[in-house]
Amino acid sequence: MRRPDAKVVLLGGASVGKTSLLRRYTERRFSDSVSTVGGAFYLKPWRALHLSLWDTAGREQFHGLGSMYCRGAAAVILTYDVMQPQSLVELEDRFLGLTDSASKDCLFIIAGNKVDLTEQGGEGDGHGPRGPRQVSREDAVALYKKILRYRMVDEKAAPAAEQMCFETSAKTGHNVDLLFETVFDMVVPMVLRQKAEEPVETVDITSQKPPKRTRSGCCT
Amino acid sequence: MVNIKAFTLVSAVERELLMGDKERVNIECVECCGRNLYVGTSDGFIYHFLLEEKALPTGTTTFTATKQLHRHLGFKKPVSELRAASALDRLLVLCDSCISLVGMHSLEPVPSGARIKGASTFALNENPVGGDPFCVEVCILSVKRRTIQVFLVYEDRVQIVKEVSTPEQPLAVAVDGHFLCLALSTQYIILNYSTGLSQDLFPYCSEEKRPIVKRIGRQEFLLAGPGGLGMFATVAGISQRAPVHWSENVIGAAVCFPYVLALDSEFITVHSMLDQQQKQTLPFKEGHILQDFEGRVIVATSKGVYILVPLPLEKQIQDLLASRRVEEALVLAKGARRNIPKEKFQVMYKRVLQQAGFIQFAQLQFLEAKELFRSGQLDVRELISLHPFLLPTSSSFTRCHPPLHEYADLNQLTQGDQEKMAKCKRFLMSYLNEVRSTEVANGYKEDIDTALLKLYAEADHDSLLDLLVTENFCLLTDSAAWLEKHRKYFALGLLYHYNNQDATAVQMWVNIVNGDVQDATRADLYEYVVDFLSTCADQQLVWAHADWVLQRSQEVGVQVFTKRPLDKQQKNSFNPDDVISCLQKYPTALVRYLEHLVVDRSEQKAEYHTHLAVLYLEEVLQQRAAPSHSDTTATETQTKLRRLLQKSDLYRVHFLMERIRGAGLPVERAILHGKLGEHEQALRVLVHELGDPAAAEDYCLWGSEGRGAACRQHLFHTLLTMYLQAGPAAPELAVAAVDLLNHHAGEFDAAQVLQLLPGSWSVQLLHPFLTGAMRGSIHAGRTAQVALGLARSENLLYTADKMKLKGRAIRLSDQKLCQLCQHPFTEPVFVRYPNGGLVHPHCAASRHQAPNSPSPGTRT
Ligand SMILES: Nc1nc2c(ncn2[C@@H]2O[C@H](COP(=O)(O)OP(=O)(O)OP(=O)(O)O)[C@@H](O)[C@H]2O)c(=O)[nH]1
Ligand SMILES: [Mg+2]
Repeated sequence: MRRPDAKVVLLGGASVGKTSLLRRYTERRFSDSVSTVGGAFYLKPWRALHLSLWDTAGREQFHGLGSMYCRGAAAVILTYDVMQPQSLVELEDRFLGLTDSASKDCLFIIAGNKVDLTEQGGEGDGHGPRGPRQVSREDAVALYKKILRYRMVDEKAAPAAEQMCFETSAKTGHNVDLLFETVFDMVVPMVLRQKAEEPVETVDITSQKPPKRTRSGCCT
Repeated sequence: MVNIKAFTLVSAVERELLMGDKERVNIECVECCGRNLYVGTSDGFIYHFLLEEKALPTGTTTFTATKQLHRHLGFKKPVSELRAASALDRLLVLCDSCISLVGMHSLEPVPSGARIKGASTFALNENPVGGDPFCVEVCILSVKRRTIQVFLVYEDRVQIVKEVSTPEQPLAVAVDGHFLCLALSTQYIILNYSTGLSQDLFPYCSEEKRPIVKRIGRQEFLLAGPGGLGMFATVAGISQRAPVHWSENVIGAAVCFPYVLALDSEFITVHSMLDQQQKQTLPFKEGHILQDFEGRVIVATSKGVYILVPLPLEKQIQDLLASRRVEEALVLAKGARRNIPKEKFQVMYKRVLQQAGFIQFAQLQFLEAKELFRSGQLDVRELISLHPFLLPTSSSFTRCHPPLHEYADLNQLTQGDQEKMAKCKRFLMSYLNEVRSTEVANGYKEDIDTALLKLYAEADHDSLLDLLVTENFCLLTDSAAWLEKHRKYFALGLLYHYNNQDATAVQMWVNIVNGDVQDATRADLYEYVVDFLSTCADQQLVWAHADWVLQRSQEVGVQVFTKRPLDKQQKNSFNPDDVISCLQKYPTALVRYLEHLVVDRSEQKAEYHTHLAVLYLEEVLQQRAAPSHSDTTATETQTKLRRLLQKSDLYRVHFLMERIRGAGLPVERAILHGKLGEHEQALRVLVHELGDPAAAEDYCLWGSEGRGAACRQHLFHTLLTMYLQAGPAAPELAVAAVDLLNHHAGEFDAAQVLQLLPGSWSVQLLHPFLTGAMRGSIHAGRTAQVALGLARSENLLYTADKMKLKGRAIRLSDQKLCQLCQHPFTEPVFVRYPNGGLVHPHCAASRHQAPNSPSPGTRT
């Protein structure tokens, strides 16, 4: 098995459509899915790299696994359901904390799924309420800015919020390719930069800093 | 979920061998090391067995265990764990919270009595960090709260190397290098015992479930997670594989690549680590131990020990292929890379790819099939041989054994469905066409090309011709028979031609043109044959078919001689005399051929030129004799004749003059006179006989071509004189004279002309001539002046350049002295003479007579 060069993780509450988005992208189809157990992963060759795409389980029961899945991630796609305001709130309350283990310059992308269910989005299919959208794009943009503050990233140094907030439909395929491929294209230069910065084979013993304690024990 | 058979469960130790009928005694733990099997019981006994493996002809394996020894440890406590350290010949025994060392074969305690006290459980480091082969690294969870200790265990002593405390009570441990993977009471963590750094993995609830921590390979662990998940985690705290999904109440897990096995109260389940799918379920009740020992998986109830024997991977792969599960078979085959030696793996993997390719092929999944054939480097003849009669009879090919698929031929594969059959053939065509020029084809290009030819011919495919006219390896006899059968006679000709049998090829085509055989491939086959012969180096062959091509059409047929590619050495070209004698029967062809010699090839032989001229002449005369003739315009042949007479200097002029005399062809006669230099006679013919001033003017231009202005002037003057001499008797010639002067003013010497003209002519009449002459003379004068002016200015430019080249930068310093007074310069003002001499301005003024010129030179 080839070792992936970077990891992209999908996070978000149960039933917002993470598995459906990934399936739409990798298999070009939409079918009813069962709620994910644990997680699943795809290896995606992109340009010269191999990216691993992790689909996580949104159910509360598996919440504890998120942090491990996010460890070292190059990008996290936070997914919500445009018809469920609660799913956007959850992103901040439940999922944002899991990304602490992600890589330092991890990219954040917000995807509002199921736009096909909104009145603009066309025909629904009986899953979930049909009607006016419940979450506006501005809410997503606001969350993105909050995330930057949480991560203590200067808004000017990060990609613009408009560029990082997507509205998708796994059902119709709307914006799905755009979402993933925009992310991949942003990840590639990051990985190449990292590879160039730290030649893996050599260890510079002179510049080794005392490692930070990750778990705060008692005072030493 | 369709099962595959990955393991079979066989009994290893029957309960009678262990505890006989002691009802209340249970198996507590198991250890297996090579052929040694140890069992620890709840009443403090250790049993030692030797395992013997026997492969049955049915492909299954059985085990028999022979008891070697058993020993009681001396406590009424259960033996809770056993670990063998074969390098030390020791067994580590955990009993009553104490790890003691006993001999692996004697089961006797070591004399030193070395032991580790206060251990609730322990793990050996299978990836030890110290280099000492005569010690093992042991990590224990201490009965002291929240403490872990690392020991080095030698043959007969133990040494503590580290004690680490944990934030919560540890419950289970596995070790890899410096890393401990720990189940604490609320979460799993990775702890580096040498640095003390730790990394959270994920939370779980130890009160609800017994944790499982299992090292599965270098730096990777398998953990029981929430919701019955088997989670993978590396020492870096990340997951590289998706989790497997077990039941909620799993009590033990083991790994036997590429499978993860899990035990619950009812079943043993088998998941693949390659695709995370569940592959097999074996019912197994009351199991409580599931462990793997160097690839051997052992499962035990409290009364008996069993072994899970893996089926050979190849067998599993074949089973998957047999049930058309291509994807899974390929994943498994690829995953087997680490278990099988490289060479063997490659052979096996290639074969699996090929088999998978045929499965896809049979389902008409051609794209997938092609990719598999390509990556499996399939001998394409396997594929060709599915199609009856495609391989040449001479081919030495026999299908691979054991066979890659179950089909005798395409007929069987498609069950006679013609449409499917056609699809398969189309695929084969495109596939063969793709591979024929790659290295896949090496060694059997003949088989491939011949098969391709047969397919094309059968399908009436255009590419048949492309195949035959480019480099190919089609076998002659096989292909010829097939083409004949399918009435591809034109292609058959191409085949013969490719095999250097041009005579047979041409004969084939001639037969088609003659209608002896039917093949409508080319409507223009006759022209094709002519073209073919015209480039054919074999003169014999051209002669053989010359009559045939000429009889069909002289115009086209003659091209076999006229359209031949030019070759410098003239090695392959025909002798013109031979051709001419052959063409005697075909007059049109003969004229064409002579034209070819004279015009295209510029042959210098007088004979050809004369011959051509005579033929033209004859034809012209013939045309004139014809009753329908009206002599107002020159016929095409006449134009050609005139052009030849004018252009060529090689024909025999006198001979033609003889033939032409009295034939009433004045223009031609004038040309002949001109050729002899008899310009006056020529002009006379044109003026007096033909009465055509325009022809006479043309003659002047043609006759003087390439001979300079003087000659031209002479001809024009001759013509003018001829017009004027006629006098008033022929007024039309006077008109011609005026026109001549007015149209060609430039060709005359105006002064001379004025002398000749009759005084009675008005200036008005000659106005164009006179203005022309004036303008010409003024123009000439002015042109001469311009040229003079330009020459002057050019001269001036050169002079200026020369001046510039002579002048140099001037450096003035205290050391420089005035050339006149020999005093230094005190001010930056000086006078320079063109010869370079520098002087004070006042010196220059006082000595007025300067060395060269009076000009003051440059000042700075
Ligand atoms: N109309 C519509 N339904 C969708 C869309 N995406 C997903 N769904 C439906 O939403 C339900 C949940 O989709 P999943 O993809 O399983 O959601 P998930 O985020 O993977 O859920 P968990 O695995 O439980 O975390 C399914 O019934 C899907 O058919 C969408 O774009 N439009
Ligand atoms: Mg899911």
